[in-house]
Amino acid sequence: MEEAKKAASIALRDVTYRYSIGTPFEKAALENVSLEFEGGIITGLMGHTGSGKSTIAQLLNGLLKPTEGQVLLDGRDIWEDPKKISAVRFRVGLVFQYPEYQLFEETVLRDIAYGPGNMGLSQEEINRRVADAARFAGVTPDLFEKSPFELSGGQKRRVAIAGVMAMDPEILVLDEPAAGLDPRGRKEILGGIRAYQREKKNTIIIISHSMEDMAVYADKLMVLDHGHVSRYGTAHDIFCHAEELKQVGLSRPQITKFIMELQKAGIPVESGIYTVDSAYREVLRIFKEKERG
Amino acid sequence: MLKDITLGQYFPGNSILHKLDPRMKIFLIIIYIVTIFAANNPVSFVLVLASAFVLMFLSKIPAKLILGGLKAVFFIMAFTAVINIFWTTGEHLLVDVGFIKIYAEGIEYAVFMIVRVISLIIGSSVLLTYTTSPIALTDGLERVLAPLKVLHIPVHEFSMMMTIALRFIPTLIEETDKIISAQKARGADFSSGNLMQRAKALIPVMVPLFVSAFHRADELAVAMECRCYRGGEGRTRMTQLHYHTRDFLMLGALLLFMAVVIVLNFVF
Repeated sequence: MEEAKKAASIALRDVTYRYSIGTPFEKAALENVSLEFEGGIITGLMGHTGSGKSTIAQLLNGLLKPTEGQVLLDGRDIWEDPKKISAVRFRVGLVFQYPEYQLFEETVLRDIAYGPGNMGLSQEEINRRVADAARFAGVTPDLFEKSPFELSGGQKRRVAIAGVMAMDPEILVLDEPAAGLDPRGRKEILGGIRAYQREKKNTIIIISHSMEDMAVYADKLMVLDHGHVSRYGTAHDIFCHAEELKQVGLSRPQITKFIMELQKAGIPVESGIYTVDSAYREVLRIFKEKERG
Repeated sequence: MLKDITLGQYFPGNSILHKLDPRMKIFLIIIYIVTIFAANNPVSFVLVLASAFVLMFLSKIPAKLILGGLKAVFFIMAFTAVINIFWTTGEHLLVDVGFIKIYAEGIEYAVFMIVRVISLIIGSSVLLTYTTSPIALTDGLERVLAPLKVLHIPVHEFSMMMTIALRFIPTLIEETDKIISAQKARGADFSSGNLMQRAKALIPVMVPLFVSAFHRADELAVAMECRCYRGGEGRTRMTQLHYHTRDFLMLGALLLFMAVVIVLNFVF
């Protein structure tokens, strides 16, 4: 048996990125940032608007080149040979914010196959990957032969995500994959991404500013503030520091606030609850205890 | 990449040329062009060239920028000059080598043509494109052409279309950038292969771009309708154009310049 492949990790080392160099509009989006995304887990990258999240996403797969510093994929600088940058893009997949606009093919199936098709794979392999990706992204078979332009907003989003998943990247970066969807749509998309990660055991980075979502779906959270990592750890580690979160323009999940109110009211709930599910179990437990008297 | 494209090359500033009424600028440019083509002797051409530089100075726009713009038409200038040199016949034969005959008149004519083109480009770019924002330009054009309404030409609608088109160019450029990035992330390759392959590689960019452009047009139409847009009939304006003293001063100066050039034509 082949030993399980170790999931790829990616890191920024002393990266500075400036926009519009040489014009009066020059602006540093990132200043001397060093961070590492662990392999084999889902990392939630959080930060308020303008904290440099989207810039990091584009640096990771080589769409942007750092002004200074290096992007290290499994310890190797991705810009070592600029001609091979497209190979890096196959290894590091990126789903942009509101990715619906990238759809262009005649049918959903063909659109999902565009990415893998560019990789020069065999038709068989492409079909297998497309079917896989469609399943994880929640694209049902009845949509396969439809035109992507007749789908609803949520369906388009899923097709777009499937289009990148089908490239089977070692690292998948998603920029606000659930933005603008209703709670059910969010759950389906983020749940699908999680199921995908659990099966593929690859490395996923989700950019989001939703504490609620990240508490549920991410294994570790990274909080950015003005182009610096201000905190890194599990949901528990992060949400213990309410004051610090407030300073960087983020807040605890609403459910955590709710649990704290319950505690204040003298109900003996445990602290350290960040998801609706665990809150539900905790409240249920208290009711049962009461019944038993 | 695409963001570096400047449209119409408007160069914001605060000079007298920037402040002129756009309607007046349209009249001024017409007078200026007529003057350039009325000139037909060396003295007037020196004057015309000098006037172009005076305008450039008035606009306070870096000379480097404007003269850089001339590079683009260098080929046309060279071509016209060569044609004029070899194909103009006159009385003073200078060179006669077989079938090549160069006359003094030919050289004179070539120089005049170059001066004309240079003055035309400098004059029109500093009077209009560099110093007038695209929106002010369409606004001015609408007013100037307003009398054509009598002939049932929808002047307002044309200028509204032009304004909308100009308004959406930066938006579409941004959109194109976004789509290109997204398709690159999916492994699209825009920079290798032969012409056919490269053209094909653009399909994943063009399709989403057109789809979103139609979508935007639709949304804009609905939004305009919701605000009761009914075309130009009885429509008032937020910014009213007014002529100022400076407008008439410029007009006077340019008319005087034209008169001098025409008089010089009779003198020489």
